[in-house]
Amino acid sequence: MSDPLSKHATATEIAGAVMSGKVKALAVVDAALARITAAEPTVNAFTDIVAERARIRAVEIDRGLHRGPMLGVPFAVKNLFDIKGHPTRAGSKINNDGPIATRDGSLIRKLEAAGAILVGGLNMGEYAYDFTGENAHYGPSRNPRDPERMTGGSSGGSGAAVAAGEVPIALGSDTNGSIRVPASLCGLFGLKPTYGRLSRAGTYPFVDAFDHLGPLARSVDDLALSFDAMQGWDPDDPVCTDRSAEPTVPALLEGINGLRIAIAGDYFERGARPEALEAVATVARALGATRKITIPEAAAARSAAYVITAIEGGQLHLPRLRSRPQDFDPDTRERFMAGALLPGAWYVKAQRFRRRYRANVQKLFAEVDIILAPATPCTAPRLGQVMMSLGGAELPVRANLGLFTQPISFIGLPVVVAPLQRPGGLPIGVQIIANHYNEAAALRVARALEKQGVASAPPA
Amino acid sequence: MAEDKPDIGRLVDEAAKALGLPIAEQYRANVIVNYERSLAIAAPLLEVDLDDELTPAPVFRP
Repeated sequence: MSDPLSKHATATEIAGAVMSGKVKALAVVDAALARITAAEPTVNAFTDIVAERARIRAVEIDRGLHRGPMLGVPFAVKNLFDIKGHPTRAGSKINNDGPIATRDGSLIRKLEAAGAILVGGLNMGEYAYDFTGENAHYGPSRNPRDPERMTGGSSGGSGAAVAAGEVPIALGSDTNGSIRVPASLCGLFGLKPTYGRLSRAGTYPFVDAFDHLGPLARSVDDLALSFDAMQGWDPDDPVCTDRSAEPTVPALLEGINGLRIAIAGDYFERGARPEALEAVATVARALGATRKITIPEAAAARSAAYVITAIEGGQLHLPRLRSRPQDFDPDTRERFMAGALLPGAWYVKAQRFRRRYRANVQKLFAEVDIILAPATPCTAPRLGQVMMSLGGAELPVRANLGLFTQPISFIGLPVVVAPLQRPGGLPIGVQIIANHYNEAAALRVARALEKQGVASAPPA
Repeated sequence: MAEDKPDIGRLVDEAAKALGLPIAEQYRANVIVNYERSLAIAAPLLEVDLDDELTPAPVFRP
């Protein structure tokens, strides 16, 4: 049990301490704000700190005005979430001139309804078109394990804030890997739920076909706790499922007995550096998993995800590419421009292929419950690094950090990233992939790895 | 055959004109680089054969 005021404290520990009266919510918030002040010069995770709002909320909690399973837990959100009274930056300069949010994003409201306390907005790659965590306007988020290295993106500030111990939980978004990549490079647990499981209302979009929201945390308990608090239908997001919420916290007690676990072969073994494959092998050994399966047409799936992303993203930003091209981050501008010009025939083909691929992958889940795959092909690259060596080829860092995440989010499968700390080296994550709406199975596996000490996310 | 290779510079210029997207000279070269990169990454999708009956799975519900 960690001191609830320390950077080691998990959300579950903090909520327990606040609920039992061992510590005041205001003391928790003040401790988090002090950690943020101390760590920001190194990690550059936050773009907005809402200290006054957080303290007011904490005082209300201490007066008994709010209740809930996340009582007094400080959290922060990627700055594509609407925060009442602030412009929704989405990592851009342009949006700062846009409308001021009149209410919080749906998931902020849900976490606060569960007793949690928002402390700020987090740095991100511009308009989420990013795997690095770099940003020309606000500076790069820096990896707390080594500040000269990338956090991964685009939820880079979310990764940095949790890995530095500034907050126990941060929300990110994941279109092609933007939760899973920073979770892997910063050494954190991350959950990208089933597409449509959590409401995206009140967040700035990127690619409607693949946009997901989810938490990054330092423990599996905290992923489950926050995920359960955020579930539920929301009429403001047309993609949000009307299935009943399926609580996952109770499932964590079930262990992994009965789960059929396989390793993704073929595509997911190619183009990875040895440390990524070793991580998968370590996890597989710990789980007693030996079966290897092939996800058919994964390369075409990655290709289709890329095409849909480029075209939807380019189309979304076309008005700003016409009127304010000079105000874009140079690392996104020409990619968005090129995306806007790609053939419509590619887009429709990618969408049609998506349906076949989904059907074929769902057939695999008749035989297995969990598929293991690398989260990133490598550990954190250096900030500013443009090319990297993968499978004997020199490839661009930006386009390839998501090589193994893209074919999974393409069909909205739920994934938990489990982080492996490597003594003397940088951490790396493994994707624990489950069938649609079976987040519980992925969380159970992550919990088993955490319990065995194979996966862990200590603050840097 | 080399002569079958599309002229991406020209393609970008003409498509941008048709779309009404002015591309300043200082951005043009990198737009072309990214278009060429997209062609390479799209290749595995473009090689796939799909049945005519295969329709997308849209979320839109009237």
